Amino acid sequence: MKIGVYVCHCGINIAATVDVKAVAEYAKTLPNVVVAKDYVFMCSDPGQDMIKEDIEELGLDRVVVASCSPRMHEPTFRKAVQTKGMNAFLFEQANIREHCSWVHEDREKATEKAKALVSAAVAKATLLKPLEVMEADVEPSALVIGGGIAGIHAAIDSANAGYKTYLLERDPSIGGHVAEMCKIFPKMNRAACLLVPKMTEVLTHPNITVLSYSELLDVGGFIGNFDVKIRKKPRYVDPEKCTACGECAKVCPVKTDDGKAAIDMPYPFAVPRTYTINPELCLRFQGEDCTKCKDVCPEGAVDFEEKEVEEEIRIGTIVVATGYDEFDASLKPELRYDMYDNVITGVEFEKILLEAEKTGELKVNGKEPKDVIFIQCVGSRDKNVGNEYCSRVCCMYTAKQATMVKDLVPDSNVTVCYIDVRAYGRGYEQFYENAQKKGVRYWRGNAAEVYKDNGKLVVRAENTMLGDPKELSADLVVLATGMTPKSDARDLGNLLKVPQSADRFFLEAHPKLGPVNTASDGVYIAGTCQGPKDIADSISQASGAVMKALIPLCQGKVLIEPITSVVNEEICSGCRMCEKICVYDAPTFDEERGVMTINSVVCKGCGSCGATCPSGAISMNHFRDQQIFAQINMLST
Amino acid sequence: MEFVDEIIETGGPILGTEHIESLRVCMQCGKCTGGCPSGRLTAIRTRKLVLEALLNMRDEVLSSDELWLCTTCYTCYERCPRNVKVTDITRTIRNIAAKEGYLALSHRMASSYVVKTGHAVPINDANKENRKKLGLPEVPPTTHTYKEALQGIQSLVKKTGFDELIGFDWETMNLKE
Repeated sequence: MKIGVYVCHCGINIAATVDVKAVAEYAKTLPNVVVAKDYVFMCSDPGQDMIKEDIEELGLDRVVVASCSPRMHEPTFRKAVQTKGMNAFLFEQANIREHCSWVHEDREKATEKAKALVSAAVAKATLLKPLEVMEADVEPSALVIGGGIAGIHAAIDSANAGYKTYLLERDPSIGGHVAEMCKIFPKMNRAACLLVPKMTEVLTHPNITVLSYSELLDVGGFIGNFDVKIRKKPRYVDPEKCTACGECAKVCPVKTDDGKAAIDMPYPFAVPRTYTINPELCLRFQGEDCTKCKDVCPEGAVDFEEKEVEEEIRIGTIVVATGYDEFDASLKPELRYDMYDNVITGVEFEKILLEAEKTGELKVNGKEPKDVIFIQCVGSRDKNVGNEYCSRVCCMYTAKQATMVKDLVPDSNVTVCYIDVRAYGRGYEQFYENAQKKGVRYWRGNAAEVYKDNGKLVVRAENTMLGDPKELSADLVVLATGMTPKSDARDLGNLLKVPQSADRFFLEAHPKLGPVNTASDGVYIAGTCQGPKDIADSISQASGAVMKALIPLCQGKVLIEPITSVVNEEICSGCRMCEKICVYDAPTFDEERGVMTINSVVCKGCGSCGATCPSGAISMNHFRDQQIFAQINMLST
Repeated sequence: MEFVDEIIETGGPILGTEHIESLRVCMQCGKCTGGCPSGRLTAIRTRKLVLEALLNMRDEVLSSDELWLCTTCYTCYERCPRNVKVTDITRTIRNIAAKEGYLALSHRMASSYVVKTGHAVPINDANKENRKKLGLPEVPPTTHTYKEALQGIQSLVKKTGFDELIGFDWETMNLKE
């Protein structure tokens, strides 16, 4: 065996703290080492050439580079040794930067530690075995989960790139929260004008299949080859036949408070354009023999007997864009949301404003409000309700709503109680200033409580600029509720193996270097499921996520690292402990032979199964027990 | 009427509505108070005056002694990041305060010199000396030289009611008690 050791200076990153020449000299004394050198930047072309030449001239069969973290340059050096015909997995890297020079000051001790790390790497290298990277074909299709503004844009981008794209939405229509908004800051476009053309594009795009009113049941497989199980809920209306004429809703005897029938469309521009029966409202599903909608339907589209359907689709990559829930304002009891009907949330006010835009009159519970107080940060920046984060949109949507109140009711008194005004986006500061110009009064102070005095609402809030608490009278209080993660984000995360961050939003692979990737290969995240953001940012992120999701589809093949677990079938007793611990469902029980087998394309090589196996039957490729013990031995002597 | 609107209606016709309306967009950053040369020595807190005006605290603003501590140096006006015309707004508020009888004694005194001499700061020996050094005539070509022009000023003072505003007594040629 011939091992070459190369010690990197990393400019002065390592050389300033570690005596790199001494480390190289020491390496020469280690068993099997035939050459040891130091160089200023091993990752540079001359550095790599040095390794390549030595492989050729000295016939090296193992290479150890002592430099940075393998996260940084393991791929670089693997490629370098491969060009000279060496198996990439016979390369080993000792991290003497992050694990040594960057965290120590004493040059002498740091040099000794670097020597120890190099000796351990050499010991492991001696025992390394060649491994082959596996290849798998990729199904050329993408699944976008969630039909809100981010999902819609993701689906269109993916479809326009030429790939078959499925858009999964569990509600009767795609559109998401934006479909129920009035105007959009800062340009004050109508939400419908932003949304409807894109919804139509989704519906008519030859590459997009909309799976609406459908839920994700299960996800199996791995990047390039996900097996996705979908449940289509029964609409009790055939979308192929329904012309959305609306006759059914007119005759339906059920009417909810907000004017919905049991058979209805969520909004006139719903996609797909079809009515849906809500079995929780429909009298027929409560045991009564009502067939009014069925009788009146000229197309014969109503079918009370429709059953749910399960469908399985093979998918290449997945973009998750499942959005957010609105914060539940009743969790702030001091703001009396549950108690007074003129204390409402921003989302509720959005619907009122949408109506006011049509009629030209602002009416809340039948009355035009004169004294309107907005309370910001409801459910955001509040550890008390478990939401430490800023929701990033409330400052601006409040400024928008406040401006609209001033436009609709010019002689109204509009006050915004705020902690900080965060107007960070392009045109946002100007938008906030414009709200002030229109006469919106900004009151710096978190509203402490809301109560009633002589039938009128009172908001008690300190003005922190004055240093005094005051009582502000109001006839309408609007709570700027923030965004929270979807209540069932954990369930979806478990299905997709996508972890949540401490704030419960889905966690990206790296906040800067992998903002749309996740820990799960082939699964990408976009929009507010990853964290609160506005429409512009959601759409940008959706395009970014699709770009990443299309890479494997464009390549047509995925490479699978062979660092996976392997079962020694002679020792395995088939106790199935590993099956329970594995989050990737890699081990399966072979009934016939009574042993476990590992699906190596799914296995991430995390090592949980190996640590769990009571009989030591499972080991990890490239991290075998003997290899690790050899490393430990060198470090402990 | 909201105090903000009163300020705009008062100052607008003289200095421009948009000019005075800039009051609304104050974001309370404190650039004005922080850089106020008067505020280093006196109690004037410009940001707070603007805030109180915005919060409809009319009585507090008009009766405050601080209102009169601005030297109208325009430092805040030039530096304001939101282009709030602070000094002109302060002057407008002073106009309203004066009408309500809150004119500060020092300002009444200065005003009485205008009535008596045509100058808020009449010539004195030190200034005469300075002018001589600069090669200027000892007495400037104003009411100090042309005494007859003072009559014109005094009739303007009477016509505009400025004498009433500052409480000037024509008999004693001094401020009333």
